[in-house]
Order: sequence, then C-alpha cells, then structure tokens
Amino acid sequence: MNRKLTVLLLLTCGVLHCSQAADDISTFFIGRLKFGSNDGSDCGDVGKDLISLVSRASTVQVTQQKLLKLSDTGLFETPFLFMNGHNDFILSDTELENLRVYFAHGGFLLASGCCTNPEFPKAWRREFSRIFPGEKVKPIPYEHLIYRSFYKIEHIRSVDENRDVYLEGVFYQGNLVAVLCEQGLCCSFAMGNNCNRGHGVAPEDGKKIALNIAVYALTH
Amino acid sequence: MLREFTFEYPIVFLAGIPPAFCLLALMAWRMRRGGQPPQVVAALITLRTIALAIVLCLLARPVWVATEAKKVDREIVLLVDSSESMSLPEEGGTRYAKMTAFIRETLLPVLNKEKIRVRPFLFSGNLEAADADRVAHTIPDGAATDLGGAIAHGMENSAHPLAVIALTDGVANESVNNNAALGALMESGTPFIGVGIGRDSEVSSISLRNVTAPESAPPKQVFRVSAQLQAITSTNTPAFELLLLRDGKFSQSRKIPSSRGSRLWSESFEVTEPAEGIHFYTVQIQLPKDESITCLKSAATAEVRITAENELRVLFVQGKLTWDFKFICRALSADSSVKVTGLSHTSAKSIFRQNVENPGELTSGFPVSMEEIAPFRLVVISSLNPSELTPQQQELVARFCRELGGGVLLLGGPGTFDSSWQGSKLEQLLPVTFDSTPGVTGIDRAFHLQVTDEALQIPAFQIADQRANRAAWAQLPTFSQYGRVANAKPGAVVWARHEEDANSDGKRILMASQRYGAGLSAVICIENFWRWRLAKDANIQQFDRFWQQLFRYLGQAGRKTVSLSFTDEELRLQSDVHMVVERHPDPDSSKHGNADSADYKVVVHDPTGRVVLDQKCGLIPGRPLNLSFHTETEGVYIASVQDAQGVEQATRTVDLRNGRVELEKTARDMENLRQWANLSGGAALRVEDCADGDGIVKAIRRAVEKAGTPRKTVSPAGLNPWVLAALLLSLGAEWILRRKWGLP
Repeated sequence: MNRKLTVLLLLTCGVLHCSQAADDISTFFIGRLKFGSNDGSDCGDVGKDLISLVSRASTVQVTQQKLLKLSDTGLFETPFLFMNGHNDFILSDTELENLRVYFAHGGFLLASGCCTNPEFPKAWRREFSRIFPGEKVKPIPYEHLIYRSFYKIEHIRSVDENRDVYLEGVFYQGNLVAVLCEQGLCCSFAMGNNCNRGHGVAPEDGKKIALNIAVYALTH
Repeated sequence: MLREFTFEYPIVFLAGIPPAFCLLALMAWRMRRGGQPPQVVAALITLRTIALAIVLCLLARPVWVATEAKKVDREIVLLVDSSESMSLPEEGGTRYAKMTAFIRETLLPVLNKEKIRVRPFLFSGNLEAADADRVAHTIPDGAATDLGGAIAHGMENSAHPLAVIALTDGVANESVNNNAALGALMESGTPFIGVGIGRDSEVSSISLRNVTAPESAPPKQVFRVSAQLQAITSTNTPAFELLLLRDGKFSQSRKIPSSRGSRLWSESFEVTEPAEGIHFYTVQIQLPKDESITCLKSAATAEVRITAENELRVLFVQGKLTWDFKFICRALSADSSVKVTGLSHTSAKSIFRQNVENPGELTSGFPVSMEEIAPFRLVVISSLNPSELTPQQQELVARFCRELGGGVLLLGGPGTFDSSWQGSKLEQLLPVTFDSTPGVTGIDRAFHLQVTDEALQIPAFQIADQRANRAAWAQLPTFSQYGRVANAKPGAVVWARHEEDANSDGKRILMASQRYGAGLSAVICIENFWRWRLAKDANIQQFDRFWQQLFRYLGQAGRKTVSLSFTDEELRLQSDVHMVVERHPDPDSSKHGNADSADYKVVVHDPTGRVVLDQKCGLIPGRPLNLSFHTETEGVYIASVQDAQGVEQATRTVDLRNGRVELEKTARDMENLRQWANLSGGAALRVEDCADGDGIVKAIRRAVEKAGTPRKTVSPAGLNPWVLAALLLSLGAEWILRRKWGLP
C-alpha cells in the first residue's frame, strides 16, 4: 500500500502543479480554527500539510488554509474546518450556536488531538456533545463509508498499543458532520511525525485516513 | 482566332450587277438625249451607282466569320439520378444499384482509358456535388427529378465540359429549368449523353412510410404503435399481412385486405407492457409471394421507454470533487423519490461511484450504451471539459437528451465554461454559445445573480410563496466566480444573469435552458453555488427546494403525459382526418387517487401554416378524446397537444398528397433523353446496350471529336450607321443636284 501511495503521489505531481496555479477560491477550502487559548498553530503547519496531502492524492483543488475563529463570519464561507490541539478547551454559547448553524447548513469539521495528548480529545467530546441536544460524540464503526471513501481501510492499529483506533464523530440528522481522531492523526502526516513518533496512528495510516475524511466530506 | 470578311449571298452580285449596269446606262442615255451636259450626267450617275452598289452589298449579307479553336477541358459532368424512383427494384437490385455498378464497371474504366476527368453530381429536385464514396452510399430518396435543373447547374459548375452524361431513368417531373439547360448546352456546344436505367414498364409499389409510438408509457397501460402505409398503383394492391415485432420477436399481426388504386392510410396495434424497460417495436409488411407489386420500404421501428416514473434517478458526473455535489446531495436527501448516483473523478485514473444499483453498474466510469444511461432521467455534468469525455460518450449524452427525453445540466465555473466546448458534440445541446477567447478572468468581485421573469414562471424557481418568491431570490448571498458564456441560442430561456458584467447579448448569462429533441438541457455557470446553503443567514429549505424542483423539472421534461395518434382510416385530401388524444395517469397523482381533468389545447396546422384546428379540452386519464380536422391543402399537416403552460406534450405529422409525384410515373423515359440528346448533338442510350462499353465509348468519342473541331462564329458586318449614312448621303446629294440643275 505504501508503494501504491508513493506511485500515486508521484503520478499526481502534475495535478499539484495545476492546483497551485488555480484560482484563489478553489474547491477544498480549509479553515483552521482558533479556539479558546489555542491560536491555531499547534503542530506548526499541519493545515498546510493536510492541504498538500489532499492535493497530491486526488483531484481536489486546495489553496492555502485560513485561520478562523468560531465567531468569524468567514466560518460560513468555509465548508471544511480543521482544529487540533493538546489541551483542554471550552466553547462559548455563541461558538456552539455558530457550530450548530454551520453543521446544519452542511459544513464539516475534522479534529485531531496532537501528540496523543488526552486532554484535547476529552474536551472535544465534551464540548461537541453540547452542540445538538441528544447527539453525543460516538465512535464510528469500521463499516462506515468514511473508511472506504478513497482508500479501503479495514482497521487502524495503534502504534504503541495493542488495539484498534476508531474515529469518533458527531451526527446531525443522520449525517456525519464532525470527526475526531484522538491518536495524533495530525502528527502522522505533519512535521515528519517527529512530535508523536512511536505513538498513536502510523504515518501511512494517518495519510490515508486524512484523505478518506476529506473525500467523505466532499461527497456526503 | 482568325477573322475574315465575306458575303453570305454572293449570288446577289451575279444577279444584280448586270441589270444595275443596264439601268444606269439607260439613265445616262436618257439624260444625254434630254440635252444634259456630260459633267451633270456623270455626277448624277456616279451618285446613283454608289447607292445601288451599297444596296447590292447589303442584299448579299456581308458578314465577319471568326474561326476559333474550342476551349474544352477533358472533363465530363456526370449527373447521377438519386430521386426516389431510382430506388425501384430491378433484376439483381435497385435501379440505383444497377446504375452504380454501371459507373464502376463500365463508365469509369472507359473514361479513365480516354483520360477524361469526371465531375460527379447527385441530382433529384436539386443538385449536389458528390465524390465516389457519396455516390456509392447515397440512398435514392429525392422527392422529384429535375433533369433540366441538373444540366443547367452542372454546366455552371464546370467551365468547359466535354459532355454532360446523365445516368437516370429519364422520368423528369420538374421542367422550369429546361430552357436554361438547353441554352447552356447550345451556347457551349456541349453534347448531352443520356443513359437510361430501369425497365420500360410501370412499377406498382407499396411502402411503410413511418411508425410512431409514444416516447414513454407506464407499465400495464395500453398504448398504440401506428404505421402509415402508402400504395401507388393503377391496379390492385393485394391483401397482405402487417406484423408487429417486439424487440425483434413476433408479437402481433393483422390482415390488410386487398384494395384498388393508390391510397395512403394508417394501421395501429394496441400494446401493453407489464414491466419497465426499453422496447423496440418494428412494423413489417409481409407481401404474398409472386405478387407483381413491389415493396419499397417494408419495415420501420419506434422505441418506447416503459417506466413508472415513480423514482427520479440522477447521474452526477464530476471531473473533480466539488462541494456543490455534497450540498446538492444534502438538498436532495429530503426527497426520497430522487436518487443521485455519483461518478466523481478522485484522481487521474480513479472514479468514485456512489449509490449505484448494483456492483456492476457504471464500472467503466461512464455509461457506455443507451441501455445503461436510460434508467436515469437527468445527467449532471460538473467541472468537466469536453476533452474529458470521448466523442462516443458525448454522443450518448446528446442522444439521451434528444431521443430519451432526459435532462442534461452542465454545472461549473470558469474552468468548465470555456472555448473548449466549441465544436464539441455536446455544444449543440447546450442553450448557450461560447467565445473563442475566455475574456477577462481573475478580477471577479462578489456578485449577485439576477433571476429573470421567465425563470420565475417556472416551477423549479418557486422557492417561496408567490409574493415572497422574488424577494427570496434577491436575498441570496453573493457568489465569487462564474463561467463566461457568449450568447443564448435562439429558443433558449435565460434564467439568471450577472448583475453587472455584460457583453453584446446583455448582462452575462449565468443560468439558461433550452429544449433539445425530446429533452431539456440547462447550464448553471456559477462556481461554488453551495455558498447559498452554507451562508449563516441562508434559508436552507429554499436551497433544498430549488434543487429538488430543478432536478424534477429537468428530469421530467421528456415525460409525455399525453399521446396523440391517428385512427385507422384512409388519409386523403378533402376529407376529415380523425385522431385520438389520451392522457396517461400521472404516477405522482395516481398515488393520491387524483384523476382530475387537466386543461390542454390541440392545435393542427395545415401545410401553409394556417391553423385548421385549435381546440381547448379537459383530459381525464384513461378517457380518450376523439377529434378531427378537415384537409384542403396538399402537404404536411402538424398536430400537437400543449399543456396549460403551452409546453408541447405530443406531436404527430401526416403528409397528405394526392400521390407522390416521383412515383407516379415509374417506367423508363428514353424519349425524354432522346430529345435532350438530339437538341445538343449528343446521344441517348439504354444501359443494357452499353454493357460492353461500346455504345458509351462511341458517344464519348463523338463528343471528343466534336470538341476538336474549331468553332466558327458568324456576325453581320453590313448594317451599321456608316453604311446607312453613305447610302443616305449619296441619295441626298443626287436629289440636291437634281433640284439645283432643275431636273425632274
């Protein structure tokens, strides 16, 4: 599978070149969230790495990320949000209301705990379970389409623990609107995996998962 | 060119000079006897001699004779008759097949041997330049034969032909160009060589002119497959069998009794299908063996799509992953009767299939046949250029719209709507044209779209209550980019325009649609249309309603709820033609037990465009309505049914002529060819006499010899003002002198 990914990356270099030359408002908008005390810079350029990954492995056109607060009006011009962090956080009622409207209108959010730090996933589960009454954050079983939307992923194995890693998500009216990977997903495809080496999700798996999530968000 | 002066009648001098001399001598003698001086006599006689000499010269008809070598190319104009009479069967094939065999096996070898070039033309009612391939593969179906017109126009297309060779049955039924043709032949001295094809006796024929059936029908619902038949004969048409084949297999038959004389009539079969699918219904004439009548066209086919239409399947093909797809699917998710199947290019060579019916569906990444595309009622093409579809795939989409009545929506922005569409097979079905230059891009500012009044009349654009609808469209968020198209095509309906950007067609078109064949095509040239739904203040119900209604509108444009058919009867002029209009149950309404009457209008136009029937009627499903119209004028009558919005729901045509002129006379007419040949110094030959090539070789060689003979041109030389002045001067001087000298 590594070989396949490498070949795919090489084959699509031309696509990358075209993507970079594309107009400013491309298909795959990424808004990187600033929330609580997080200024949207955890794990450095992880947002750009996600952009690069998606561009090279698919026809999705992406331009640079933009930093957003949940209170910004720009939130509603950005169909894909990315947030990551190490620490606990609390969302205000206004931020929760904005997220509620954003998800109801069709927006999508990908979240990743940095460096397998448990504080961020714990806070995310708590806060995102407050968005829609009765809709708690729950694990996404491997039968879900998000594991097959680009690569067919049977299982995600933890690098340092003998267990499978599940994505978790928030559903609204049957639609998956927000996804969390607690096991350092962002670290797996950013910064050469230096910050989380030997922990969480393996880099090869992380790249596939990230791309699957992006394709799923674009098609569902 | 040599030019010499001569007299046409020199005998005038022989006969006229002696009497003239005697007359002048007598005059001189009488004047001298009267005592006139010699100088007076000499002057008067001289003047009279001049006048007499001029008269004698004029009587002898002085002329200039110019001898000129003929300017002739070694080229012949070959006129090939492609009128319908050439389709009549002969031994071993049709007349046309016999003619092409003659060209191939006899004529061309002879002309090649003589090193004569051929300029071939096909002719019937008009003339068309053709190459060998075109001549070989043409179907002779011309409605008339204008041999004179073909000669005249053929001569215009060749500067100095050696000869005009016409291969025809000689039966000409147009003569308005005969004088022009004759003048052209005579003036250029070009001989006409006619080769008569066919037999010398008349041919009786019967043909199946067309087969009609509704484009679609629900399962377990009766519909009619109708055939129009025509017999042309001066004797009897024998009894024969008319067969209905369903997908190539026998389904029904009926006996058609014997009849006398020429006639045009219709016959129909009632058909019911139990399940959905596409079926081909072929009506076929089966004549008894050993009958003298000839069957010109024995079979024709109509295609009917059997569908319950209770589910609207949409095929959404996108060249790259777009957010529009996601948001449109989200909008449609609330409508369980609309099912979207997605084909998304996720990389250069991989396609993501969504919501396919079975694992084997659309595995090649795009439908490859009409059967595979037929289950869909709408094809959405998003962010895709024509180069990303093969010509076969483009043709399939065009046929889907044109023949199956499907909807086609092209969706995208600047990367989609560009000049690459020019000349593509799909361009013809789109409601807009494209500039060859992309225009100024990259300086887009946020813009609002302005929905037109025409669009607001369409159900798809009713996103809010009647009064609030226009305001709802005005409240849409701004968009950032759009594809620049040039103009709307004639007949297209513009749905929305840019609020500022304009070109020669007015404000730039952002949304438009047009009828294409039985279906409807539309374009939405706005990039990132999803912004409407994601906007914080957006009313997502309006976005969802728009897409649900738009897909339904485009997908059901080809669904015909009304059928129109002619009853089984003789179709002739100066009589009433009867027809049946029937409304099919609407699957959506029938679910709710709704069988109310709906308003329709039936209109019939005669061949001159005059309305001969214009009747409003309320149609209730399952209750056919019988109507009739009277026929006065010869030609094609067009009957159509329109719904309350004026949208055509069904149309049928009937061609009523007293007889097809082309098949009225079917015996070979050698006499006509002989007349043309005699007047131009050519030859008229029967094709069977040219089998060994001798006859045609002789005729062509005569033409070559004739071309080699210099042509003499004679022009009168005597009657001009100078000669007349000299005559008047001499007579006038003689009269003046006589008056001066007091002579009588």
